[in-house]
Amino acid sequence: MNRFSIWRLLPFAVLIIFTAPLLIVLSTLFGSYSENWFHLYEFVLADYIISSLILVIGVSILVLFLGTVTAWTVTTYNFKGKKVFEWALILPLAIPPYILAYTFTGLFDPFGDANNFIRSVFNLKDSTIIFPNVRNIYGAIVVFAFTLYPYVYLVSRSAFINQSKSMQEAARLLGLNQLEVFYKLALPLIRPAAIGGMMLVIMETLSDFGAVDHFAIQTFTTGIFRTWYGLYDLQTAMQLASLLLLTVGIFYFIERSSRGDGIYTSNNSTFSPNEEVNLTGLKALTAFLVCFIPIFIGFLLPIVELSLWAYEVNLGFFNNKFLENSINTLSLSFLTGLICAALALLINFSIRYKPSILVGRFSALLSIGYAVPGLILAVGMVQLLVYLDNLAFSGFDIVLTGSLLGLVLAYVIKTYALANSSIESGYERISYSLDDSSKLLGSTSWNMLGNIHIPLLKTSILTSVLLVMSDVVKELPATLILRPFNFETLAVSTYIYASEERMIQAAAPAIAIVLIGLIPIVLLSKMIRSSRPIENRE
Amino acid sequence: MNNILEIINLSHAYSKNENSITGINLDIQEGERVSILGPSGCGKSTLLRLIAGLEKPSQGEIKIKGIKASSRENLLPPEKRNVGLVVQDKALFPHLSVYSNICFGIKKNKTKDDIASELLTLFKIENLKSKYPHEISGGEQQRVALARSLATNPDLLMLDEPFSALDKDLKETLYSEISLVFSERKSTILLVTHDQKEAELMTERQIMMEKGSFLE
Amino acid sequence: MKKIQLILLLSFFGHVIMSNEVNVYTSRHYDSDDLLYKEFTQETGIKVNIISGKGSALLQRLKSEGSNSPADIFFTVDAGNLWKVQKEGLFQSIQSDLVLSSVPENLRGPNDEWTAIAKRARVIFYNPENVSEEMIKDIDYEDLSNPEWRNKIVVRSSSNMYNQSLVASLISNLGEEQTESWANKLVSNFARKPQGNDRSQIIAVANGEADLAIANSYYIGIMLSGSAGEEQLVAAKKVKMAFPNQKNRGTHINISGAGVLKSAPNQKNANRFLEFLISKKVQKTMVDKSYEYPILESIRPSDEIASFGTDFKEDQISVKSFGELNPSAVRLMDRSGWK
Repeated sequence: MNRFSIWRLLPFAVLIIFTAPLLIVLSTLFGSYSENWFHLYEFVLADYIISSLILVIGVSILVLFLGTVTAWTVTTYNFKGKKVFEWALILPLAIPPYILAYTFTGLFDPFGDANNFIRSVFNLKDSTIIFPNVRNIYGAIVVFAFTLYPYVYLVSRSAFINQSKSMQEAARLLGLNQLEVFYKLALPLIRPAAIGGMMLVIMETLSDFGAVDHFAIQTFTTGIFRTWYGLYDLQTAMQLASLLLLTVGIFYFIERSSRGDGIYTSNNSTFSPNEEVNLTGLKALTAFLVCFIPIFIGFLLPIVELSLWAYEVNLGFFNNKFLENSINTLSLSFLTGLICAALALLINFSIRYKPSILVGRFSALLSIGYAVPGLILAVGMVQLLVYLDNLAFSGFDIVLTGSLLGLVLAYVIKTYALANSSIESGYERISYSLDDSSKLLGSTSWNMLGNIHIPLLKTSILTSVLLVMSDVVKELPATLILRPFNFETLAVSTYIYASEERMIQAAAPAIAIVLIGLIPIVLLSKMIRSSRPIENRE
Repeated sequence: MNNILEIINLSHAYSKNENSITGINLDIQEGERVSILGPSGCGKSTLLRLIAGLEKPSQGEIKIKGIKASSRENLLPPEKRNVGLVVQDKALFPHLSVYSNICFGIKKNKTKDDIASELLTLFKIENLKSKYPHEISGGEQQRVALARSLATNPDLLMLDEPFSALDKDLKETLYSEISLVFSERKSTILLVTHDQKEAELMTERQIMMEKGSFLE
Repeated sequence: MKKIQLILLLSFFGHVIMSNEVNVYTSRHYDSDDLLYKEFTQETGIKVNIISGKGSALLQRLKSEGSNSPADIFFTVDAGNLWKVQKEGLFQSIQSDLVLSSVPENLRGPNDEWTAIAKRARVIFYNPENVSEEMIKDIDYEDLSNPEWRNKIVVRSSSNMYNQSLVASLISNLGEEQTESWANKLVSNFARKPQGNDRSQIIAVANGEADLAIANSYYIGIMLSGSAGEEQLVAAKKVKMAFPNQKNRGTHINISGAGVLKSAPNQKNANRFLEFLISKKVQKTMVDKSYEYPILESIRPSDEIASFGTDFKEDQISVKSFGELNPSAVRLMDRSGWK
C-alpha cells in the first residue's frame, strides 16, 4: 500500500488551505487588544450584539411562518395556481438580500417611487408620507425574511410530502380539524428539517453586509468594515470577526446535528392517492394569496422596480463599464466554478478510491465554507496573503495582496459545498461494481476517473459549475475587500451606486445578477416538479 | 331502531370510466359487529374511506346516527363524525409515546388519564406506556392503534385489514382478546378483511363484496 | 521566452514593476482626474500608472508591499487619510521647492511629507423656503447643538472621514470636553438616523425632510452641473450654502492632498508630478471639474461654486491636526451616539 498516495493527501492539503484564513482570524483572539477594542467594547459592541439578536429572532420567526405555511398549503391542498406556486415560491432565492434592500428603499423612502406615486395619484402635499420608513431593523427583518424563506419552504415541503398521509388522516378521525393537524401534528414532525432550514437562513442573515449597511444598522459586519476601513485597525476588525465566526459556528453545529433524526420519520407510509383537498371559493382565494404574497414581495416587486429603473436609464447602461464588470464577474465565477468542480471531483474520487473514515470526516469539513460569512473569509485571507508576501515573496517583484488569487480562493472556500453536494450525489448513482470492473480490467486511478467517472458525472459537473457561478455572482463583502484595484464586479458596482444613492444606475447590474441567479432556481424548480407524488404528475 | 350507520345506494368512481363502488346499501345497528369480506381490489377500503369522510361519493348517501354525513353535494368533515378507523399500517405518531398516542384524540383533560389507563389495561399494554412506536413490535403497535381509536369513544369503529401483517399465532391471540374488548364495551364494529376465519371469529354478520358491489 | 511567459502568467496573480513612469496610488474617484494624467504625460512624456481604491485598502497594500512597492505618489482626500499613511512612516519629504513655496504651511504635513492640492469646506446647506436668512446669518458649527434646531439637522454617518476631521478640528479649537457636549446635543437634533452620503443630506434639505445639512462644498457644484442627473440638479437649485464661523475663526476646511512615498522608485518623476498638480493651468482645470477650492490664491474657483462666495474666512488651523486627533474624534463620536 502506497501510504503517500496523492489521493490520501489531497483532502488534507485542501483542508489546510481552506481553514487557514479562518484559523488566522480566530488566532487574533489570543493576540493583543488595541485601544480601539476597549472603546468598541464599551460603546458599540452591545449595539452589534443586540441588533444581531433582534435580526436573528425576527427573521427566524417570520421565515418559519412563511416557509411552513406555504409548504403546507402547497402540499395539502389543490387550488388554482398551485402547480405554479410549487416551484415559484423559491424564486426569491434569486434576489440577494442587498438587492431587495436597495429596491425597498427606492420604493418606500419618503421620496421614493411608492410615496411619489400615491402623492401624484391622490394629489397630496409633499409632506404626506404613506409608507413607513424601511431604513431600520424592522425593514431589514422583512427583507431577509422574504428573500430567505425559500430555504425553509424547500425543506418543509420535502418533509410534508414524505409524511404519512394515513397518519394525518388518523388525526382527522381522532377529531382534529385541518388547521389543528397542521400545527399539532405535521409541524412538530418536521421540526428537525425546519430547524435545519432556519439555521441556513440565520447564517446568511448574519453574513450579510450590503443590506444592513444600506439600512444603516450597526451589526457585526458593518462594525468589522468600519473598524478596518474607518479606523484602519485590521487587528481589532479580525477580533470582531472572530466573535461573529464563533456565533455562526453555533448555528452551523445546530444545523448539522438537526439532520437525520430517526424518531421523526415513520416506518411505513402508504401512499394513498388523491389525498389533496380541493379548495374552491374563498378558501381557494386565501390559499392563492398565501402563496402569492411572498412571491410578490420577495421577487415580483423588486424585479418590476429594477426594470422600471433600468428603463429610465434606457440603453445607457450598456456602457463600457457595465460590459467590463460583466466580463469580470462572469470570468471570475466561471473560473471558481471550474476550480470547485475539479476539486470536488478529485476529493470525492479520493474518498471512493482510498476510503478511510478519517479522510471521509475531513472532507466533510471542507464544506464548512458555506457557513462562514464572506467578510470573515476575506479578512483572514488578506492577513494570510500578507504573511505569505512577507515570508516567501519578499525577494521577488510579485505581490499577492490585492491580486485575484485571494479573491478566487475565498470564492472557492465559500462555494465548495455547493459543488461537492452536486458531485457527491452524482457519485452515489454510480455503482461500485463499475469501479471494480474497471480495476479488474487494469485501469489506473486517473484512467478510472477520466474515462469512467467523468463521462458519467457530466450532469453533476455542469450543475456544480452553474450553482457555484450563481453564488459567486451574488457575493458582495468578500469581493469588496479582496478585489484587485480597478476591478469591479456586478455586485460591487451595484453596491457602489446604491451607496451613492444612485439607484437608477444600480438597476442594470442588479438585474444582471438576478438573471444569473435564476439559473440554479430553474434547476431546483425542475427537481421540485419531478418530486411530486406520482399520482399527481400529469 | 338505533341505526348507527345507513348507506343508501352509494357509488363512487375514481376515474371517469369505472365505478370502484356501485349501489352499496348497508345498515348497521348499535352494538352490531359486521364484516365485509372480499378479495383485494374489490373496493372495501374505498368504502371505509367514504364512510370516514375522507372521500366524497359520486352518488348516494351516508347517514351516521340519522344525520346525513355524505352525499354528492355535502360532506361532513372526518373530525366531526366521531367515526374511528384503524388501518393496516397503523399510522401511529412516531414522535409521541404510546401513552400520548392513545390520549391524542381525547378532548377533555380531566378524563384523559382514566380513559388511557383503562385502555392500556384492556389491551394488556400497560408496560408499554412510555415507549415509542419504533420500539415496540407489530402486534403491540396494532393494539396501540386500536386503543387510540377507542379512546375517543367513536360511534362506529372501522377496521381495515388490521391484522393481515401479523403472523398466524399472534392473530389468533388477538382475535379473542379484541373480541372480548369489543363485547365488553358494546362497540359497533365494521371490519373489512379477506380472511373468512377472521370475519367469523370477530363478527356476527358477514357480507361478501366483489368488484365494487355486495353479493346478495 | 520562458521568462516572459512566466511574467505574463504571474502578472495575472500579482503585479510586476515596470520603469520610466510615475505610479500613483489614488483614492480619489473623480473621472476628471484621468484627463489630468493624460495631460501630464503629454507635457512630460512620463507615463502615469493609476491604481485606485479605498484609502485603507491602499494603505494595506503599501504596507504589505514594503520596500518592493512600486508606488511613487499617494493621492487622496482628507488630511486625516494622509496622516494615517504618514503615521506608518511611508512618506518622504517633498523635494520640490516650487511646491513648498506655493502651498501655505498650514496646508502641508509635518516635515513636508505631504501637501494639499486643493481645498474643500464643510459647510451648512439650507432651503431658503424653510430657513430664513435671519436664522442662518452668522451661524457657527457650535450653534448646531442649539435646541431650536431640534429634529432639523441631517449629516452622514460618523464612520465617514470628513465628519471625523470636522470633529477633530473642533477638539483642536474648543477642547474635548466642549466638543463632546456639543456632539451630544447635536445628535438629539438629528432629523433622522445618519444614513446615505453627503448628497443624500443635501437632497433631504431640498425636499424639506430637514432644515440644515452638513456636507462638503463641492457637491453643490457637481449637482448643479447636471452631470449627476435631473433629480440632483433640481434639488441643488433649491438650496443655498452657508459658511459657518465667519465672525470668528472661520469655516472648517479640508484638503485633497498627495505625498511622495519613501520607497518611490521614480522619485524625480513623483516630485514633478506634484509640481504639475500645483501649476496654474492644472489648478484651474482641477477645480473647474471637481468644484474644489484652489490652493493658489490667483485662481478663481469654478462659477457654480464661486456664486456662493469665494472670500470666506477659512479656519487657519493646521490640517495636520486632523489626523493626530482622529482616534479621539472617533471615540468621542461613539460616546455621543453619533452613529
